[in-house]
Amino acid sequence: MKQTLLLWLFVAISVMPALAQTRTISGKVTDAKDGSPIPGVTVIVKGTTTGTVTGAGGNFSLSADQNARTLIVSFVGYETQQVNLDGGTTYNIGLKEDPKSLEEVIVTAQNISRDKRSLGYAFESVKGDELAQRSEPNVLNTLNGKLAGVTITGSSGAPGASTNINIRGITSFTGSNQPLIVVDGIIFSNDLDATENTLFGSQPANRLADISPENIESVSVLKGPAAAALYGSRASAGALVITTKSGKELKGKSEVTFTSSVSFQNVSGLPKFQNQYGQGANNDFNNTSSNSWGPAFGTIDSVTTVQGVRVPYRAYPNNVKDFFKTGSIIQNGLNFSSGTAENNISLSLSSTFQNGIIPESKFDRNSVQIGGVKTLNNGVKLMTSVTYVRSSQRGVPQGNGGSAFGQLTRIPRSYDLTGMPYQDENGKSIFYNLTQNHPLWSTEHEKLQGSTDRVFGYFTAGYNIMKWLNVSYRVTADVYNDRRRFYNEIGSVRNPTGATVRDNFFRSELNGDLMIKANKSNLFTEGLDLNVLLGQNINQRDYQNVTLYGEELTIPNFENPSNASIFSQSGETVRKQRLIGYYGQLSFGYKNYLFLELTGRMDQSSTLPSDKNKYFYPSAALSFVPTDAFHIESNVLSYLKLRANAAKVGRDAPPYRLQTYFVGATFGNNLASITYPISVGGSSIPGFLTNTRIGSPALSPEFVTSYEGGFNIGLFQNRVSLDATYFYTRSSKQIFDVAVSNASGFDTRTTNVGLMTNKGIELVLNATPLKIGAFQWDVSANFTRIRNNVKEIAPGIDNAPLEGNAFIGINPSIAVNHAYGVIIGTKNARNDAGELLINPSTGLFVPGIAGEVIADPNPDWQAGLTNTFRYKGFSLSFLIDTRQGGDIYSFSMTDLKNNGSLEITAKDRDKPRILPGVIQTGDGKYIKNNIQISAQSYWGALGGLASEGAVYDATVWRLREVAFNYSLPSSVLRRTPFGAASIGLSAHNLFFYAPHYPADPEINTQGAGNIRGLDLNGAPNTRNYGANLRVTF
Amino acid sequence: MRRLSIYTGLLLLAVTFTGCKKFFDINDTPNSPTSVPPSLLLPTGLSGSAFSNANELNRFACTIIDYQAGAGGSPATYDIYNTNGADFGNQWRFEIYGGALIAYKKMIDAADATGAKAYTGIGKIMMAYTFAIATDVWGDVPYTEALQGDLDVIQPALTTQEAMYKGGTGVTSLFDMVRAGLRDLDTVTTSSPETDDIVYGGDIDAWKKAGNTLLLKLAIQISKKEPALAASVINEVLAKGEDAYITSNAETLGVNFGASTGSQSPVYYYTYVSSFANDLIVSTRYVNRLQALGDPRLDKFVTKPSGSFVTIDNGFRGTLPTPTANWSRWSSTLLGANGVGPVKLITNAMRAFILAEAAVSLPGINLGGNTAQGWYTEGIKASMQDAGLSSLEIDAYFTAHPEVVTLSGTVEQQVEQIITQKYIANTGNGLEAWNDWRRTGYPVMPEHDNAVGIDGTRPVRAQYIDQEVARNPAFKNGPLPNVKVWWDVN
Repeated sequence: MKQTLLLWLFVAISVMPALAQTRTISGKVTDAKDGSPIPGVTVIVKGTTTGTVTGAGGNFSLSADQNARTLIVSFVGYETQQVNLDGGTTYNIGLKEDPKSLEEVIVTAQNISRDKRSLGYAFESVKGDELAQRSEPNVLNTLNGKLAGVTITGSSGAPGASTNINIRGITSFTGSNQPLIVVDGIIFSNDLDATENTLFGSQPANRLADISPENIESVSVLKGPAAAALYGSRASAGALVITTKSGKELKGKSEVTFTSSVSFQNVSGLPKFQNQYGQGANNDFNNTSSNSWGPAFGTIDSVTTVQGVRVPYRAYPNNVKDFFKTGSIIQNGLNFSSGTAENNISLSLSSTFQNGIIPESKFDRNSVQIGGVKTLNNGVKLMTSVTYVRSSQRGVPQGNGGSAFGQLTRIPRSYDLTGMPYQDENGKSIFYNLTQNHPLWSTEHEKLQGSTDRVFGYFTAGYNIMKWLNVSYRVTADVYNDRRRFYNEIGSVRNPTGATVRDNFFRSELNGDLMIKANKSNLFTEGLDLNVLLGQNINQRDYQNVTLYGEELTIPNFENPSNASIFSQSGETVRKQRLIGYYGQLSFGYKNYLFLELTGRMDQSSTLPSDKNKYFYPSAALSFVPTDAFHIESNVLSYLKLRANAAKVGRDAPPYRLQTYFVGATFGNNLASITYPISVGGSSIPGFLTNTRIGSPALSPEFVTSYEGGFNIGLFQNRVSLDATYFYTRSSKQIFDVAVSNASGFDTRTTNVGLMTNKGIELVLNATPLKIGAFQWDVSANFTRIRNNVKEIAPGIDNAPLEGNAFIGINPSIAVNHAYGVIIGTKNARNDAGELLINPSTGLFVPGIAGEVIADPNPDWQAGLTNTFRYKGFSLSFLIDTRQGGDIYSFSMTDLKNNGSLEITAKDRDKPRILPGVIQTGDGKYIKNNIQISAQSYWGALGGLASEGAVYDATVWRLREVAFNYSLPSSVLRRTPFGAASIGLSAHNLFFYAPHYPADPEINTQGAGNIRGLDLNGAPNTRNYGANLRVTF
Repeated sequence: MRRLSIYTGLLLLAVTFTGCKKFFDINDTPNSPTSVPPSLLLPTGLSGSAFSNANELNRFACTIIDYQAGAGGSPATYDIYNTNGADFGNQWRFEIYGGALIAYKKMIDAADATGAKAYTGIGKIMMAYTFAIATDVWGDVPYTEALQGDLDVIQPALTTQEAMYKGGTGVTSLFDMVRAGLRDLDTVTTSSPETDDIVYGGDIDAWKKAGNTLLLKLAIQISKKEPALAASVINEVLAKGEDAYITSNAETLGVNFGASTGSQSPVYYYTYVSSFANDLIVSTRYVNRLQALGDPRLDKFVTKPSGSFVTIDNGFRGTLPTPTANWSRWSSTLLGANGVGPVKLITNAMRAFILAEAAVSLPGINLGGNTAQGWYTEGIKASMQDAGLSSLEIDAYFTAHPEVVTLSGTVEQQVEQIITQKYIANTGNGLEAWNDWRRTGYPVMPEHDNAVGIDGTRPVRAQYIDQEVARNPAFKNGPLPNVKVWWDVN
């Protein structure tokens, strides 16, 4: 629990030098038991805000008022000690471990440091060393499995592919359900911008990918809407408060830390294929078939490809696997810091180079951060940090048909995918399927490149007007430009005449926060403490997307837009929204065992009608520590805290939802389409059409109300601790584009409707089962169970599709009395007894029923278990997590079943089969199906793209992370220039077990967002492993 | 210093409390206009009508009606008569109601406001045409309350097909809508379409002929159910004289498209560009029918890359012929080279066959010197000319096949001759052929192999789309595809 840096930060923020005559007091803080120095200990002059924290050697030094009488020395896990100042200047202090201590000081919203015991809501944090050097460059992926109440799902193993995160489920029908991301106080965009249709596109990054896990000091997770008053509505979905490694208290010294890691990636989670039957159908070879229902191997020796080449007829067991490469991730970081608490500077450099497992794919990230603190002679304290990041990504289109991944599930088992040329001398694809392209041709010639230049930073000026009154103003900015280049070579399936696209996304978010903080101890009565925060926030968000969409290319392999002759899909979209919020927080503490916190916020938003654009939302939280209140001294019960809170949060609308307007007209889809302006008879003809959405001039804010209760219990001197939470949220008056009768001429109308609830349980268990000498075994476990229920949508509406792209007949939806995000498709027909109905003349299923809920992507429960073993400088930890239940809708497995590639389809292939189900007889009764069909018909019937045959239980167990680390002992380091050094090995996603799905079900082709549980021929996952090094000079 | 800080803080607060009104007044979208002139809506509506006729509904009808056979995907499903509420959602939502019809509605509103009568006239004619597609395919559909979602009518009631064709209390009939459009076209207009009219390039006289010919089409559609009304509408048009309706192929109501990506006609794109092209192949039955008649249009309409026709039977479920490159498909003669179209909605040949059928089967048609045989001959010749046959070739056919080109026998037999020729002339326009077959039972077509459907018979309507059933109580418990629409008494 050594949160040196964090503690330092809190103190640095709140501590101002006294202007009175001072003297210097210094000393060393050690563990009273073994005499080892303790860094990070808070040392404060009693009755003042003057203080410091101890450095690496446990040393401290501070300037105290001449009249200062007492030092308060405190550190997490130790009993707080008061030291009388007897006139000396040097004090050596030994701290005793506190058996009752379980709590720690943590960062909550707006960088307010709090004793964890005072919080009326659940709180978890993860330290940087649990995220860094984990062979995984995306922060969210490194958090996966480590937090209760937090559901994280990667979209694939493609480099930079986005990762979805939801905290405590989903609370908004259409708004972002991702938590607010705050980096060093800066509201940080985690937006995901799509250049292509998400059903088929490559997978761009969520912009949190611009933060390297190596630069993170800690991540605090504010789960409920308790933080919303201080951060505004967007924190209603929770908040991830990230603190980066920046300035350190180094007592005027300088420190350089260098980290480096090299990791490798392999494809993971491919299904098991059969290797007994080759290309063809109905046991006949067919050189253009995408099926593997052909003759058994050994029955014919050789065949002729569609290109006329005679090739042996045999299995290529690794033909799909060999398409993938070994990927690599190289990460380096250099951090320099120097100075004191009042005046310091820090500089860090970081780089990540990833080459993915998919040919040509990569993700690179380079950043430089500079920051510092300066305290002026007049007491004004200035703090700043600015970071520049450049991230670049190259991905390849995915999805059904017309992409490498659309073809990879259709490779016959006898097709030598990687052993034969994939393009001719003219650059044309060579493939068995003449209307599709070879996957290697696709990865080479169909690409989406993104290059993001991002600057984010803050500037804060603060001043202590009184000892108990601090005023500060903070300006933060987060600005980026993501320049995309999309290219489809002439001959690509989706753009047969080629396409070259420039797609630039600009986002900027500016925030100004005025904060007045006051705190008084022993107010009115002994033991009653009061903290007050009053704030005002001005927020402006800008978005611009400029697209130059060039089609009909003439010159192959020439990407400049001058090569294009049609630009009808080009255009610009801008959005601007503003918000002013006034907020306050009142925190009472009584004798350190009873706490009450009240918050309130009023927002005024530009996106709502001017007469309804102000809305207020309050919260209250209560925390009580009976073990302290009643002085319970027990060897069993060491600590108990009870807590409860209630909060309401209002949310505004996205911009421009009040009006009905016209847009450039388009007709059709990938079967046939036109986009205005069209070119007819030599004239360019523009055309407009009403937008499909009816605007709502009477829109009002939507609200989420949340109730939470829980307890923390510590047993056996806190060797075992349990944190349990129950929560209930109620989302109402949702701003939702309600589906309307299309005969009205429109498709949706923006309205305040609906009701949705979430109920959940979160458990966090920490224990130290074994501690013998220098050996220690720690266990950390978490459990989450969330039940979401859509209670109402709109009068007369039973279900509605989610915003986003969907295939016809496969709609991610909300449906009354179902959980959010269920997939509506075609369900097999059943009789009243629930038995599948079989067509008596074919032996196949009778036609299914469209428009039924067939899949629910929400897991029943999830859990993670981290075991850590430590012995002297060695540590070994591994994380196992599981997700139980929840469905995945898989195009890939449907393809592989249908086309006879899966291992299971070869089993007893020559024997007839009978589909499960019943046949209706003439008298209306049902008899068990007894009609024999071929294996090909059988597996085909069980597949079916737009049917429940594509739905699988996504239950999975996973060895998500293994990390081994060795810190060199100081006896060795003494002979080196290093202050600290460690080496380690790490692995990510080493092994998984999915009992009901033939591949890895943690995949989400459409990327981060509210649509979940679909594998639409996406890229597979990876298994990562690597070695790393950290040295400090 | 303290005082200074307090003042600074108060000042900041003061600044932010004032001037809020303007600060927040930024929510009018800069991305999209809230009103547009009629000239931006006309091409949208026209191409929307073309998509309604020539996209997925056409693929459905072309398989049902034996022009083509389904080789994969949805067409293969249609080919065994299977269709349900999951089909044609896009057509209803984004081509008909949310496409052409709302475009015409907004165009008429905008044009009325400025006295641009040329636009209101075209809008009413094309609105009637497109509503007719909706009712002919689905039966009773929203009509009087449709297209008013932005006026809070989000669950419009159904109007019966009978009321749509015949009118009634509070219901303007499709005929009256066309007549109102024709009156508008006779009125002085403040502005006229030019290149935005992707049918006639702004030729208002041509639109008048199209409107009158549409009256004929609508009339013949209900002629089995309401022969007297049909005859009176047809007489009303005939009375205006030959200059009042389409009498040459050049006057055909066809929507033009472009040759470049994003401008191509839907049926061309599907057949020659899309990756779904191999879901459809020309039907063996179609080839056999034309070969039996020795009809020279077969070679014009259908490709044979290998030198012979490669087709499959309707409902065929065996191994498909390979390679797909040799499959017989619609030719660019039929579809228009490179995707320019036009998508022909109402042709000169259709007009001639309508009049021929009326002359043979309806009472009291004012022939005015014309004959059923004359119109029949005119229809065949117009179609053959349209197919690119020379007059020598056409004459040769007429000489060689008098049994085909001469009307004979009972009224019913003559109707069969007329509709069979109309079927050939309508090649590729599945909806019109399906309309005629449902109405008359011609041409006679055996059921498809492996037919399933509701009861193994050809669908005679489309089921209401799932989205409407979910969104509008008016659509609950709609009829299945084997239930005939009102005008279908055959």
